[in-house]
Amino acid sequence: MPEEEGESLIHVAIEAEELFQLGPLSFTNSMVGALLTSLLLGLAAWYITRRSSLVPGRLQSAFELPVELMSGIVSASSSRWRGYVGLILGFFLTILVANWIGLLPGVGTIGITHIDASGHEAVIPIVRPASADLNFTLGLALVAFVMFVYWGIKANGPGGYLKELLGEPLYMAPLMFPINLISEFSRLISLSMRLFGNVFAGEVLLATMIALAPILIPAVFLGLEVLFGFVQALVFALLAMTYIATANAEHHTTDHGEADAAGADHPTAAEPAHA
Amino acid sequence: MGLGAIGPGIGLGIAVSKAMEALGRNPEAAGAIFVPYILGIALAEAIGIYALVVSLLLIFVA
Repeated sequence: MPEEEGESLIHVAIEAEELFQLGPLSFTNSMVGALLTSLLLGLAAWYITRRSSLVPGRLQSAFELPVELMSGIVSASSSRWRGYVGLILGFFLTILVANWIGLLPGVGTIGITHIDASGHEAVIPIVRPASADLNFTLGLALVAFVMFVYWGIKANGPGGYLKELLGEPLYMAPLMFPINLISEFSRLISLSMRLFGNVFAGEVLLATMIALAPILIPAVFLGLEVLFGFVQALVFALLAMTYIATANAEHHTTDHGEADAAGADHPTAAEPAHA
Repeated sequence: MGLGAIGPGIGLGIAVSKAMEALGRNPEAAGAIFVPYILGIALAEAIGIYALVVSLLLIFVA
C-alpha cells in the first residue's frame, strides 16, 4: 500500500493521529471529533429544553422524532424498559452524531502539514469522526457490556446470573461455562469492531472515490454514508438493547419466550411448502 | 477480504429476501419485522466486518 502511486491522494490512517501532547496524554484528532459530538448534543439538548412547549413547534418535533422512534422500539423489548431507555437513546444519538460529523466538508481534509518519519509531507486532519477510532467504539461497547452484566445480576441475583452462565443441565457446566463466558466477551468485541469497521471502511471508501473520480461520483457515496451512519447507530443501540433485555428477563420468562418463538416458527416454515 | 465477503453476502441475501417475502405476505407486520430484521442483518454483516478489519490490519499494521 505505501508504495502505490495513489498514495499521495488517498490519506487514511487506521489509528487516530496525535495533534499535540497534553502532559503524558497525547491529544488525538478523534478526541476533537468526540468533543465536537458531545458539544453538539449538549447544545442541542440545552437549546431544545430551554424553550420546549407541550405543543411542539417545527424544530422541537424534529428533535423529538429520534427520541420517539427509539423509545417506541425500546418499550417493546421488555417490561422494565424504563430503566435503560435513556442509555439506549444516548448510544443512538451519540453514534449518530459522531458518524455524521465525519461527512461534514473539511473534516478529513483541513489539517496541519508536517514532515513524517519517511520524509514525505503529510497532513494530519484536525477533526476525525470519533467512531472511526477503535478506542471510542470500544469505550461505548464497554459501557454496554457493564450495563448488560449489571442488569443480568440485578434481575436474577448474582447466583442466578452465575447459574445462567453455567448452562441448563448442571453436569454440562464444564463445557458450557467457557462457551458462555466467551460468548459474553465476544459481544464486546463484535459490538466495537462492527461500528469501527463500518465507519472506518466508509472513510476509506470516500477517500478512494474522491481520489478516483473527484467530481459528482463521491456525492452518491456520501449519500450512502449518511444512510450507513444512521443504520450503524441504530444497530449498535438495538444490539445493546437486546443484550440488556435478554439479560433482564427472568429465567422462566425467557423459557416461555423461546417456546413462543418456536411455536410461531412452525406456520412460517410450513407455508413455503404449501405455496 | 474477498473470501470473507462471500459468506455474509449469501447470508444477507437470504435474510433480506425472506424479510421482503414476509412483508409481501403481511404488510401490517412491518413494525414487528423491522427490529429482528435489523439485528439479523447486523449479525450477518459482522462477519464481513471481521474480514475487513483483519485485512485492514494486514495492510496498515503488519
